Amino acid sequence: MEILAQLIVSGIALGMIYALIAFGYQLTFATSGTLNFGQGEALMLGALVGLTLVGHMSYWLMIPLVLVFGALQGIFVERVGVQPAIKTKSEFGWIMTTISLAIIFKNVAENIWGHDDITFPSPLPTEPLQFMGIRVLPMEILVVVGALAIMLAVELFNRKSIYGKAVVATSNDRDAAGLMGINTGMVITFSYALSSMTAAFAGVLVAPLTLTGATMGVVLGLKAFAVAIIGGLNSGMGVIVGGLILGIAETTTGYYVSTGYKDVPGLLLLLLVLAIKPAGMFGKSVIKKV
Amino acid sequence: MLQIQNLHAAYGKVEVLHDISLEVPKGKVVTLIGSNGAGKTTTMRAVSGMIKPSGGSISLNGKNITGLTSNKIARAGLAHSPEGRRVFATLSVTDNLLLGAFPRLTFGRERGDVQGDLARVFELFPRLKERAGQQAGTLSGGEQQMLAMGRALMLNPEVLLLDEPSMGLAPLLVNEVFRIIAELKGRGITMLLVEQFAAAALEVADYGYVLENGRIACHGPAQQLKDDPAVKAAYLGASH
Ligand SMILES: Nc1ncnc2c1ncn2[C@@H]1O[C@H](COP(=O)(O)OP(=O)(O)OP(=O)(O)O)[C@@H](O)[C@H]1O
Ligand SMILES: [Mg+2]
Repeated sequence: MEILAQLIVSGIALGMIYALIAFGYQLTFATSGTLNFGQGEALMLGALVGLTLVGHMSYWLMIPLVLVFGALQGIFVERVGVQPAIKTKSEFGWIMTTISLAIIFKNVAENIWGHDDITFPSPLPTEPLQFMGIRVLPMEILVVVGALAIMLAVELFNRKSIYGKAVVATSNDRDAAGLMGINTGMVITFSYALSSMTAAFAGVLVAPLTLTGATMGVVLGLKAFAVAIIGGLNSGMGVIVGGLILGIAETTTGYYVSTGYKDVPGLLLLLLVLAIKPAGMFGKSVIKKV
Repeated sequence: MLQIQNLHAAYGKVEVLHDISLEVPKGKVVTLIGSNGAGKTTTMRAVSGMIKPSGGSISLNGKNITGLTSNKIARAGLAHSPEGRRVFATLSVTDNLLLGAFPRLTFGRERGDVQGDLARVFELFPRLKERAGQQAGTLSGGEQQMLAMGRALMLNPEVLLLDEPSMGLAPLLVNEVFRIIAELKGRGITMLLVEQFAAAALEVADYGYVLENGRIACHGPAQQLKDDPAVKAAYLGASH
């Protein structure tokens, strides 16, 4: 029982990372119907840039800089890869361009930071805390708090500020939003900035718990994609629940079955959801707009 | 105020507007009449920047707005209540209305008294006030139509484009919509109105244009068009 509780706690931290990346997928999907398949690479770049920065400053000072870096990286992806595809109404162009950019980012990172995984110094004590016999790393708590905080901040922005409402309006009906005087092209660019920013943030949150390196984003990006599909591409609650399910399924399977099979339950769940409720467990089915 | 000269517009390669010229003078209500598919909605879309005109020029208050994006045209002071309402379904009624004032709340248009205008829209459409916090997608068709009109008014526009504000409404509500249009006219709001109820539209309008297959077939003072035998036969028959 204690072991199970322990596995669940570890799974929660992992799950929140998935949730945060999946949240990033949702942000761009909402405004533009497109996804950045380089979300994992945005996370990886954030982590590696953060790693370089912590050589010169504290972890806490590094975070805002990485957020800015992530936003700029997202703007780059949108301008170079996505905007031309949207402009020419190419239905699938953005898939190829975001995947291509992801590969380029990975190669660039390998050239700058090398092929080997590097340890990211933990900003918090690495001694686990004990709660009723369950060990929790302070860094795991930071992951959960940080992920929830940034998602909440985005949600508040969308609900309370007129600019956030403009983002929601663009998601609802892009043409009508244009009639309100909203520059919807800018809103889409902004959503990419926000999306990559959350991924970069996820990168510096997860890095001290894992190893950092040019390939770290591939699997994370893919699993978060599964989470976005499981939870629903338009449900904020869905990605949190989906992330937690996947994270906990992974740690428990890794322990009770074999680490070799730890990814299986999540992927089975993905197939199941796609077969039964394609809009996701929490997703509202959207009638495809013409 | 709004001037359209030799406007052409196409969907893909198919041209649907051929050489449209029309004018909406300040403080006047002008109506565009025509049968289904004549190009009324397309004219409005080309004016508000939802589609790019393929030829001709459009000016608002002397400023050339031809080919600008819809958001720039809105900030120049043109409000368009589009066909099919197009309210923001997941946002509340109040948020929809505030978004109508987006350029005033951000940049591009003088701010003025947004809260006061919100109160005036609620006065004009008491139903919207009752539903202020409700998601726009859950409103009835008639309420959504009022919201679309109210949202357009929130821009405090130089010119208001109304595309079939009575579409799909019960007869009683249709009368209500025309009463409101008359009231807006009384406030001096410049309007271009497209309506299926041509007789009622000509009643409230100062001037009218008849659109046939993407061309202006005839135009004249509203009173004169109402008495024109050809217009009567084609558009004022059984309707309303
Ligand atoms: N999105 C579109 N793509 C292609 N053709 C279109 C599109 N919208 C309208 N058309 C065509 O353009 C012509 C003019 O249509 P428009 O919607 O402007 O007519 P309308 O006068 O507003 O008609 P209604 O009274 O039915 O609203 C029609 O022949 C229509 O089939
Ligand atoms: Mg029409």
